[in-house]
Amino acid sequence: MSWLRIALRNVLRDGTRVINTLLIIAVGLTALLVGSGFMLSTYDALQEIAMRSEGHVIVTDDNPDPALGGTHQQLNLSGWQTLQSSLWKDERVVRVLPRARFEGIISKGNKSAVFFGSGVDSKEEFRVHGPFLRTDGVLNPWLTPQETPDVVLGAQLARTLNATKGDLLTLHTQNRHGENSEITVQLAGPYHTGTPEIDNHSLMTSLTTVATLLDTDNISQLSIYLHQREASAAVQTLLQNSLNGITVQTWQQRAELYHKVKAIYDRIFGVMGFIILVVIFLAISNTIALAIHQRREEIATLSALGTNPSRIYANFILEACLIGLAATTLGMLLSYAISNGINLAELMMPAPPGKTEGYPIFIYISWPHYLITSAMLIIVAAFAAFLTTYRVARTNIARTLS
Amino acid sequence: MAIRLELAAVSKSYGHDKNQITALHEISFTLAEGEFLAVQGPSGSGKSTLLNICGLIDPPSAGHYSLNGTALSQLNTKARCGYRRREIGFIFQRHQLIPAMTVYENIAYPLLLNGIRKKQIKLDVEQLLVRMGLIHRRAHLPKQLSGGERQRVGIARALIKRPQLVIADEPSASLDHQHAHAGLQLMRELNREYGASFLIASHDPFVIDRCDRKIELLDGRLGAST
Repeated sequence: MSWLRIALRNVLRDGTRVINTLLIIAVGLTALLVGSGFMLSTYDALQEIAMRSEGHVIVTDDNPDPALGGTHQQLNLSGWQTLQSSLWKDERVVRVLPRARFEGIISKGNKSAVFFGSGVDSKEEFRVHGPFLRTDGVLNPWLTPQETPDVVLGAQLARTLNATKGDLLTLHTQNRHGENSEITVQLAGPYHTGTPEIDNHSLMTSLTTVATLLDTDNISQLSIYLHQREASAAVQTLLQNSLNGITVQTWQQRAELYHKVKAIYDRIFGVMGFIILVVIFLAISNTIALAIHQRREEIATLSALGTNPSRIYANFILEACLIGLAATTLGMLLSYAISNGINLAELMMPAPPGKTEGYPIFIYISWPHYLITSAMLIIVAAFAAFLTTYRVARTNIARTLS
Repeated sequence: MAIRLELAAVSKSYGHDKNQITALHEISFTLAEGEFLAVQGPSGSGKSTLLNICGLIDPPSAGHYSLNGTALSQLNTKARCGYRRREIGFIFQRHQLIPAMTVYENIAYPLLLNGIRKKQIKLDVEQLLVRMGLIHRRAHLPKQLSGGERQRVGIARALIKRPQLVIADEPSASLDHQHAHAGLQLMRELNREYGASFLIASHDPFVIDRCDRKIELLDGRLGAST
């Protein structure tokens, strides 16, 4: 005699009502899994943007150099070449990219605009950005230090200056001594990040060009790229312990946008998930309450035969778990099919606030995530069954059987 | 014969104050070991209430009663449930088989509740199924059985654990004469063999005539005992 078999027979007895409950749970689970799959892929994309733009571990020197003489350019990290060479020996490290932030005015003829520039390693910089930085006809490597060095501009900045590939432009800024400094550069092409604030004002040129312009080979930061993001904290600790007075941060400590968006999404999907759990709770409660009402005589008989109330609760909880198991299996299959369908259809989301370009909808399919969410729903179903049975199953045996 | 069940001035009331209804008035009687006792009376006379009290389904409002010398009046719900599980068998008017259980499972259920080993359960149930001519129905669900077969399963379920007391409420009410006769005969055979005492509520003269003794209830009061 198997309680499981008996519970299964009871579930099958209730036909239509069980199918309705099963469908409610399956659709609810599908909404949860597809929604959270989208959420997870968004988190991952934001993490990728943060890591690709800043590196997994970032080394900066936040103590201004007194010798800079009042200039606001934050090029405080000196002697970075030694650190770069030692980092290359670490097997966890893929790339070590120096970046020199500077700002000033860029002009072409009688047109000029404020810029926020980066001096970068022209051979490696575009490689780390991957799909998050798109260029129009810019050769790689670009920015070769030549008589007229190259520059790449944010697409909107190039439009503002009415500049096209091959045009000569002038960068004006202050060097480390606070003196005016300028250099003529040649436009190698525009790039798009999808963020108007960046595309309106940003530019990149070679580290050598910045060193010439600012009269220093100091940089703003050293961005360290690792084989595995999980190693970030370990590398950070190692560096922090060996570098006195230098700030070493992981990408997470600098990924403000990621944390803000994650907080918003967590709240949205938290509320959505809670509503779905409540719906499932009510659906199961309703099914069990109706089953108990219809099976009052059976419950009274079981009690008359000497069955402990806990055994009666256990029977109904087992039935709820079976319904939950069937429903979540169906829900997982539905989610898998829908998620794959959306991914294959390559649907695009409209541009989010603060962006100029939409992005492809991608739904993560993670079986551990599927199983954990399903287990959670089965627990909710069991809990709903317990509460309902506890309230209703204390039937008056004498009155029910009379 | 030893006294198995003894009731002394047992009363049962429902409601409070002005709305109070007394279903049983100071009922006293004894049931001997192996005795077949009929409780007769018209509808509303208190037969079912009396059976519910004797079967530990409902507690009395006043009075004392005992089973094999053990006082039962003050038992709490859990203890009454345990007594029902171990000592009392029930035969219901509408059989009340568990729909999701097969014939085998319905009969085995009281043994399972009492923690009997599976091997022993199988042996006992199959012996009884053969005895009752139900072995070919062992894997059938109640809905697949005739009325007479259901009654036999109900009787088997009540007696499988060899209880001290069997409570039967109108056991022939939903059966034709032939099945009622067969059912009663079976109860008597098992009564003789297992030594259980039977307390049977019935309107049916056929049933009442075949009991060892009968008591009569009228408006909740004990009438003639013959």
